[in-house]
Amino acid sequence: MFFHLTEESVPEPNTNQMTTPRPTVGQALDGLFDPRTIAVVGASRTKGKLGQAVLALLKSNGYSGRIIPVNPSGGEIEGLPAVRSLDEIDSPIDVVVLATPVGVALDALETCTRLDVKVVVGVTSGFSEAGEDGHENEERLRRIMQDAPFRLVGPNCEGVVRPASDLQLTFSPMFNDLRPGPVAMISQSGALAGLMALRLGERGVGINAIVSSGNETDLTAADLLDYLGNDPQTRVVLCYVEELRDGRRFAEAAQRLTRAGKHVVAVKSGRSRAGSRAVQSHTGAMAGDDRVISAVFRETGVIRARESVAAVDAVTALAAGRRPAGNRVGIISVTGGLGVEMTDLAESAGFEVPVLDETTQTALSRYVPFYGSVTNPVDLTGVVLANPTYVGRCLEAVTADPGVDIAIAIITFVPDQQFIEALAEAFDNTDKPILIVWTGSARSNASGEALRERAVPVYDSPARAASGLAALAVATGEVA
Amino acid sequence: MTQRETLENWQRAGRTVIHEADAKDLLQRIGIPVPRRDPDHGRCAAKLCHDDYPHKSDHGLVRLGLSPEEAKQAAAEMAERFAGGTALIEEMEEGSVAEWIIGCKRDDTFGPIVLAGPGGILVELIDAAEIRLAPATPQTAEAMVRSGPGARLLTGLRGAEPADKGALADLISRISVFFAENADLISEIEINPVMVRADGKGLVAADALIVLSSNADEQEKLT
Repeated sequence: MFFHLTEESVPEPNTNQMTTPRPTVGQALDGLFDPRTIAVVGASRTKGKLGQAVLALLKSNGYSGRIIPVNPSGGEIEGLPAVRSLDEIDSPIDVVVLATPVGVALDALETCTRLDVKVVVGVTSGFSEAGEDGHENEERLRRIMQDAPFRLVGPNCEGVVRPASDLQLTFSPMFNDLRPGPVAMISQSGALAGLMALRLGERGVGINAIVSSGNETDLTAADLLDYLGNDPQTRVVLCYVEELRDGRRFAEAAQRLTRAGKHVVAVKSGRSRAGSRAVQSHTGAMAGDDRVISAVFRETGVIRARESVAAVDAVTALAAGRRPAGNRVGIISVTGGLGVEMTDLAESAGFEVPVLDETTQTALSRYVPFYGSVTNPVDLTGVVLANPTYVGRCLEAVTADPGVDIAIAIITFVPDQQFIEALAEAFDNTDKPILIVWTGSARSNASGEALRERAVPVYDSPARAASGLAALAVATGEVA
Repeated sequence: MTQRETLENWQRAGRTVIHEADAKDLLQRIGIPVPRRDPDHGRCAAKLCHDDYPHKSDHGLVRLGLSPEEAKQAAAEMAERFAGGTALIEEMEEGSVAEWIIGCKRDDTFGPIVLAGPGGILVELIDAAEIRLAPATPQTAEAMVRSGPGARLLTGLRGAEPADKGALADLISRISVFFAENADLISEIEINPVMVRADGKGLVAADALIVLSSNADEQEKLT
């Protein structure tokens, strides 16, 4: 713990304390994710300004705590009374959002050192990421943060989202309408966080928290991994990282989580960076940056995804919270071709697609015509579309097979709602992991809401389902 | 003198690359077997070890398959050509069933790591090394000799005798602990090859290299 000690007496109109302790990572993040008071520096009435978007999204997503717009002209913004400066706020502030040009943001940050603030979220850009041009700003930022009595997320980030607290501290609409759930996300790129959040949300996968960590001047991916991973609500942590500043701590935190049965899925980009240092030994050449990352991730149980969409596919499967007892996959398909492709992908990822139990085959025979197949992959043929519940019942038969650990149902277009509901029922009637490949979702006469409500993993192609499959059973290693 | 003091002395003397003879002296002190020196019979290797020439064979500083007498003569010749070197005459290892590389380095992201894989000429051919965080526990080191494509070479291909995996795992763990404890002084350690004998018969470090971190004090003086 650090203490902010000052020789001269600094005017502190808001608090009786003469010194303010620097909050620990835990204290700061507790305040960040469940804040009572948020001040938005740069709140504005002008559309297109960052601060306007932050305030509008915070309000429209139903945040129920106190919001204080900060704008030098005062007045009322979005129906809320604005203060002219942070100094005017005479109560503790859990979160200050900086959404102004960089000069104003740094002045506000300086002001925060005199106030009772837990954490600052720096959406503002113009620091180290701007190279030479941002150098002076970066220097000033570091000077302020050196003994600041608060913690900083960012700067140069897209903000923080926590659906359970209706907290939408961001200017980006990519994070709208997420439901609370088991996935925590840490991303050094805000845009990648948006892409991944949107896709997880479309599948009904719930989000515990999202932090766009930006430049990580103070709080790092390792801090956030440790905090969010240890939250009992979190089952899976999804990380997008370009540079791990405290990689050792990140690896150690990840290892603790994976040993405790949680999952960490990470995209580490910048793979192609060539090692430029001259090396004296073979070791130097053999242990290049990228090989070491893969090796350390494997050692610590982190699932490394090649890119963000593969990561989302892996997380989708893990978030359902069902663990397979083994690597035997039962595949049913309304078409032969997709069943064969799925089988190839499953087998090349190290799974077995065994012949089904005789009882299962008999049960399936009631629905499958003679030109289909009831072995595995099961080719139901288009005939099963005649009755909307048949595919669901076939899926139930396969999940009941004692020789099947994971079931995959492949469907194309879907004639009506009952069809989807029968699949959802089959999901409810088993503890085994089920993946659904639904190639025609957007062109079907049925909505996937019954599947989204349950966060059933749904993929649009066998290859993407294979990424989920690999994450499920291996729980470590690489996802293509 | 502790091993750490030895490293500090070398660093103070301005050395960066520590040649084979000195590296082996140090490794022997942490319990890593090295070949017998100056034998009076059997086949010998003669080498000239010099900090400036870590890749000895590129400079003709390794002669193999010599008698003890020939080895002495070869070493004397090489010493004449390269002033400041240390002559090393060793017994050649005849009974090994596998050659392995064990290396440690500081990774920019994760700090100390240890690597183990098929060594000798195979380092040029295949990318089969296992990498872990250092220090590696004995269990982790055992996993390293049982994982990856290289593991099959140790179990004995086509009727060959299985290699002493236990001794190899012990070496990996031992050197990774030593490296992690002194990673502020050492930037890389490499043993290549380790000649691994048949199961139960141990191993011997046939070549070794230590690269020290550049001396911070020296650098300050230069700037």
